[in-house]
Amino acid sequence: MSTDFFYYIYITGKYVFFIYGLLLILIYGAGIILSNRAVSRNKKRSIFLQVNDIVSATDIPSVTLVAPAYNEGRTIVENVKSLLAIQYPFYDLIIVNDGSTDETMELLIDKYKLKSYDTTFNTQPIPTATVNRIYKSEKAQYKHLTVIDKNNGGKADAINAGINFAESELILCTDADCIIEQEALLKMVRPYLEEADQEIIACGAAIGIANDSVISNGTLKELRLPKNLIPMIQVVEYIRAFLIGRMGWGEVNGLMLVSGAFGMYPRNRLIEVGGYNPNTVGEDFDLCVKLRAHMELINKPYKVVYVPETLCWTEAPSDYAIFIKQRDRWARGLFETLMFHRKLFFNPKYRNDGLFFIPYWFFFEFAAPIVEFVGFIFLIIFGIFGFINWSTAILLFLIVYLFGCIFSTISILFYVKNFKHYSTSKQITELLLAAYLEPFLYHPVLVYAQIKGYYKILFDIKSGWGIMKRRGFNTTG
Amino acid sequence: MIETLLFGFIKLLLVILVMLWIIIGVSIIYRRRRTRKLQLIETTFADVISKFLYPLPGENIDHIYIQRRFRKIGVIDSKPKNVQYLIDLMIRTQRSLLGINYEKLVILFTQIPPYGASASKINSRKWYIKARGIREIYEMNQIRYVKQIIKESNNVNIYVRREAQIALVIFLGWESLRFLSYLKRKMTLWQQIKIVEKLHDLHPKPNLKYLQRAYGSDKTYANELVMRIIRKFNLITEIDYILKHIDNFNFETRESAIYCISSFYLSEEQLIVLKEKFFNIPKTAQQILLMKYIDKISFEKDLVFYKKLLNSSNELISLSSAEILWNNGFQEEVQEFYYGQYSRHPINVLDSV
Repeated sequence: MSTDFFYYIYITGKYVFFIYGLLLILIYGAGIILSNRAVSRNKKRSIFLQVNDIVSATDIPSVTLVAPAYNEGRTIVENVKSLLAIQYPFYDLIIVNDGSTDETMELLIDKYKLKSYDTTFNTQPIPTATVNRIYKSEKAQYKHLTVIDKNNGGKADAINAGINFAESELILCTDADCIIEQEALLKMVRPYLEEADQEIIACGAAIGIANDSVISNGTLKELRLPKNLIPMIQVVEYIRAFLIGRMGWGEVNGLMLVSGAFGMYPRNRLIEVGGYNPNTVGEDFDLCVKLRAHMELINKPYKVVYVPETLCWTEAPSDYAIFIKQRDRWARGLFETLMFHRKLFFNPKYRNDGLFFIPYWFFFEFAAPIVEFVGFIFLIIFGIFGFINWSTAILLFLIVYLFGCIFSTISILFYVKNFKHYSTSKQITELLLAAYLEPFLYHPVLVYAQIKGYYKILFDIKSGWGIMKRRGFNTTG
Repeated sequence: MIETLLFGFIKLLLVILVMLWIIIGVSIIYRRRRTRKLQLIETTFADVISKFLYPLPGENIDHIYIQRRFRKIGVIDSKPKNVQYLIDLMIRTQRSLLGINYEKLVILFTQIPPYGASASKINSRKWYIKARGIREIYEMNQIRYVKQIIKESNNVNIYVRREAQIALVIFLGWESLRFLSYLKRKMTLWQQIKIVEKLHDLHPKPNLKYLQRAYGSDKTYANELVMRIIRKFNLITEIDYILKHIDNFNFETRESAIYCISSFYLSEEQLIVLKEKFFNIPKTAQQILLMKYIDKISFEKDLVFYKKLLNSSNELISLSSAEILWNNGFQEEVQEFYYGQYSRHPINVLDSV
C-alpha cells in the first residue's frame, strides 16, 4: 500500500516537473523569437529618429532624473558629476539624500555650492518622510541640480520625494551609483515621442555591469569584463534577461517590470498611483504592476516598453555574500508584490495582466525556485528509495543543461550582432564560458537566496534592504 | 529505448550549440571586415568630395571620375549596403553645407551610383525601405518626387506617413497645411515637432491663410499641431485659437494648449477668458501649471480669483494659491485664511477624552 502510494507520488511528481520544465523551455523559445523581432524592428525604427534630431528639437518633453542616495559619501560627488553630464535639452537632476548618516550631504553642499531655499509652499502630492531642506546650486553650471535632504524613509520614499518636487513631464528614476550613458535620455524619450495610439506608462532600458571597467569624469571610458566569475556570470544573466526576456515580453505588451535602477515614467501617472510603495523591497515591480492595473481600470490604452540598448551601467555584487543579500531582497520583493496585487490573479477585469501576465509571474518567476528546490528534495528522497533511473535522469539533466547553454549562447549572439560593447573574440569566449559554468557555480546559490527570501517572508523575519557593499568603479581623471 | 532517444536529442542540441558558435564566429569576422570596408568608403568619400567641392587650381573633378572612384571600392548596384552607406554619408555631409556647395552635392546625388536609388525605394513593399527613400528624397531636396510622396501621406505605417508629411512640409511649406484636414490617421508628438521645426527652418515667413484653413479640423492632433505652430512662430494674432483649447476635453490637447499659451503675454480680455476656463479643467496638475502662468503674466494680482482658489476644497490648489498670494505681498490674507481654519473647527478636548 505504502509502496503504491510512493509510486503514485513519484509518477505524479515526475510528470509535473517534466511539464513544468517543458513549458519553461517553450516560453524561453517564444521569448527568443519575439525578442529577435523586437530588436530588429527597433533597429529599423531608430533610423527615423536619431538622437541628433532630438538634441536640436524644441517642444520635446522635459525630463527630471531622480536619484536617491543613502550613505554614498564615497562616490556621490563623482556620480552626480556623471549624472549632470547627461545630454538632454530640458533636463533637471534631483538627488534625494535619504537621511544619510555619513558625509554625503556635506560633500554635496561643499562640492556643488548648494544653498537651501524656502519651501514653505511646496506641495507634496505623494506623502513621504519629512523633507528638511531643499538645496539648489549657486553655480550657473549646476543650475539643473536640486538636492533634497530628507529623513530616512527608504529608497521608494526618497524617489517619491523627488517625484513631488519635480516639475517635468517625465521622470527617470535611477540609483545615484549608476553610470548613465550621456545619450540615455535622448534614447529613452524616443518611445514617448513616437507612440500615437497608446500611452507609454513606463520605459526601461538594458542595464549593463561595469565591474572592473574604467570610469573617467563620471562616464564609462572603457568597458571591460569583470575579472571575477560571479559578476561575469551576471553579465550573461543581464544580457539574457534584458535582451531575451524583457524585449520579448515588451513585444506582447506584457512587461510587468521596469528595473528600479533605470526607468522612465510620466509624472502625472506616477502621482495618480501614489508613486512607489515604500512598504515593499520590490518597489519597481510593484510600481509597474500598479501603473498597468490603474490604466486597465481607467480603460486607457497603454504600453510598457523597453529600449534594447544598454544605457545604464551598474556595479554587480562581486561575492556570494552580497549576491545572496541582493537576490534574497529581490525574491522578497516579488513575493510582496504578488501578495499586494493578488486581486489581479486570474481577474478578467484586468484583461491580459490578470489572465496571463500575473499568473506567469506567479507560476514561472515566483514558483520556479520552489519547484527547483522541491525537485531537488524529490530527487534525493526517491533516489534513496530506488525509484530513480539514474542513467535516464543524468541524460535529462544534460538536456536541460544544454537548453540553458543554447539560450545563453543565443543571447550572446544577439548581443554580438546588435551591439558593440563586447566585441573581441576573447570577451565573447569568456562570456560563453561564464554562461556554461552558470548552472554549477551560480544557479544553486541563486535558488538558495530566493528560498531564503521566501522563508523570511513566511516567518516574518525583518530584513529590509540590507547593505550592499560596493567596491567602487576604477576611476581615472 | 528512451535513453537512445535522449542520446539522439542531446546530439541534436550539441549540433545546434556548435552551429551557434560558428554563427558567432562568423559575425565577429564579418563585423571586422565590414567596419574596415565602411572606413574605406568613408575616407574615399571624404577625399573625393573635398576635391569636388573645393578643387585646387587646375584640378577638375567631374562626375565620371567620382563614379569610377566609388565603383573601385565596391559602391555598385549589386552591393546595396555599400550604396546605402554612401547615401547616408551624403546626407550627413549636406547638413553642414550651404549655398553653391549644397547645390553641387544635390546634383552629384542624382549623378553617381545611387542614381534613382531613393526614388525606387518609395515603391518598395517594406515600410522601412519606403520610409527611408522618402527621407533621403527630402534630405537631398529632390522635389520632383513630390507627387509620389503625397500619395504616402496617409500610409498605414506610421513611419512612412510621418516621413511623407515631413517631406510635404519641406517641399510645399505652409501650403502643405491644407492636407491637415484630409489626414486620416493619428500624428505622433515627434511628427508634430518635426513638422513645426522644418516649417520654421525652411519657411520662416508665416502664411496664415493655410494655417487658418486647418482651424476647422476636429482632429486632436491637428489642433495640437496648429497650436505648436502658433507658439513657434509667435503668432500673437492667433492666441485665441490656443485659448479655445485650454479646457478641451482631451488631456493631451489641454496639455499642448497650456504649454503653448505659456510663451505668450495675454491682453486683459484674454486673461479674463483664461480665468473662466480655468475652472473647467479637470486635472489639478494642469490647473497648477496655469496658475503659475497667470501669476507670471499678470501685472496686477487678481485677489478675488486667488482668494476663490485659496478656499478651494482641493488642497493642492489652495496651497499653490497661498504661495502666489504670499509671494506677492498678501501675507495677511494667507495668514487669515489659515488661522481661520482653527476657529472653524475648534477642538473639543472633552469629546476626545
